[in-house]
Amino acid sequence: MKVVVSYYASLREERGHGQETVNIEPISVSELYKQLNLTLPIEIIRFAVNNQFVPAGEMLSDGDRVAFIPPVAGG
Amino acid sequence: MGTGWLSYPQLLVAKMRFTIQPEVILSHVEACPDAGGFVCFEGRVRNEHLGKDVVALEYEAHPEMAIAQGEQLLAEAIERFRLIDAVCVHRVGRLDVGELAVKIDVSAAHRREAFAGCEFIIDELKKRVPIWKKEHYADGNSGWIGIQEQPVTVDSVYDRQMRLPEVGVEGQNRLRQARVLVVGAGGLGCAAIPYLVAAGVGTVGICDGERVHVSNLHRQPMYGPGDIGLLKVDRVAVACGRLSPFVQVNAYPEQLTVENAEGMVKGYDIVIDGTDNFRTKFVLNRTCTSLGKPLIVAGIYKFDGQLLVIVPRGSGGCLRCVWPTEPTDGRIGTCADVGVLGFVPGLFGVQQAAEAIKLILGLPSAATSNVVVQNLLDGTQVLLPRAVSPDCPICSGIATVSD
Repeated sequence: MKVVVSYYASLREERGHGQETVNIEPISVSELYKQLNLTLPIEIIRFAVNNQFVPAGEMLSDGDRVAFIPPVAGG
Repeated sequence: MGTGWLSYPQLLVAKMRFTIQPEVILSHVEACPDAGGFVCFEGRVRNEHLGKDVVALEYEAHPEMAIAQGEQLLAEAIERFRLIDAVCVHRVGRLDVGELAVKIDVSAAHRREAFAGCEFIIDELKKRVPIWKKEHYADGNSGWIGIQEQPVTVDSVYDRQMRLPEVGVEGQNRLRQARVLVVGAGGLGCAAIPYLVAAGVGTVGICDGERVHVSNLHRQPMYGPGDIGLLKVDRVAVACGRLSPFVQVNAYPEQLTVENAEGMVKGYDIVIDGTDNFRTKFVLNRTCTSLGKPLIVAGIYKFDGQLLVIVPRGSGGCLRCVWPTEPTDGRIGTCADVGVLGFVPGLFGVQQAAEAIKLILGLPSAATSNVVVQNLLDGTQVLLPRAVSPDCPICSGIATVSD
């Protein structure tokens, strides 16, 4: 199945783009994050699916729009 | 002259710093071992005013009030700018072109404080101290110029915003009665503060213990090269004084901590978080939630930013409901590490001012129930709905000070 993933802040830089479509097996949103091998520790990331915050164990469905939101504090 | 100024010398007592006299000025401040910077301002009679040829000026004062106000002003300048001494002499009576009318002498440890303090004194003197001048023109006419006279009124300054039905007279009164605390006078604060002041928010508190650094200038446009090394809150207070005669600015030259947060926040209605670290954001979140004060939070990373308005006991929960554990700064990157363009904190800071003004006016906002996530490079915005987290120690009322 396919999901559209959006990246913010340093995740965007690490991934090289702000959005991509990925092909995945039915997994949870945090498992997807782990598979992407991103360096920001998973404990500090908030997950959103279809513009709603969801818990780490939220299972993904075909066509979901996933966003990984890291905290930002600059000012 | 018959104005009574000949009796002024009777008012002069030893150790007074502010004097009014008809005689030629011979004042100065004494040298002392810890004073390295001395600044003197001389105001002299100029031969032109608004296109008219001036041949002489005549100064008149309300002596008791002028001296009382002048003494207070000098004491305030000494405290605010850490001056060692400050004296001011203002002449009264008729003065010809080129003559010395007012002289201010200040001493400080370093030149920056001395320059800033001297500028503050002459700016404020013209606003606060009841001394009037009559200009005599070359064409034989003359006219009084009230130094205290404000060419601006509430009605004239806020006319354009009061035309909005969302503001009106009542809204403007609400703004005038409102008290907003801005924590942090950096990239966010420098953008939020002038819009709060310009809109007529009656009391603006500014809390920041840092001094202006050369690397701040590109994104903190309330400061220029001449402010480097000075306390940010002092420079902001001076700038705000120029922006509006109607706003009371309270400057707190200290960092917000667990210890001082409650005392600082409780005197205000709304708090704007202009800090750059989660440690302080969490302290503000806990303090504002327990005191029932709305908190407007923003943070940026390069071109990305997040904005949220935390309403006490609101359905959107608090900052801890969004970020259950305090992210350590080393993991999320600071402006110093990753770089920043000024318009990013600038746009978020202006939005924070907008949220404060909307709260005061009772206008709706998406930021009270969502995290507003914006990217200023591609122009995208996402609203992520917030909710009270059942695990949040603050919203469940079990948080302790150490949380």
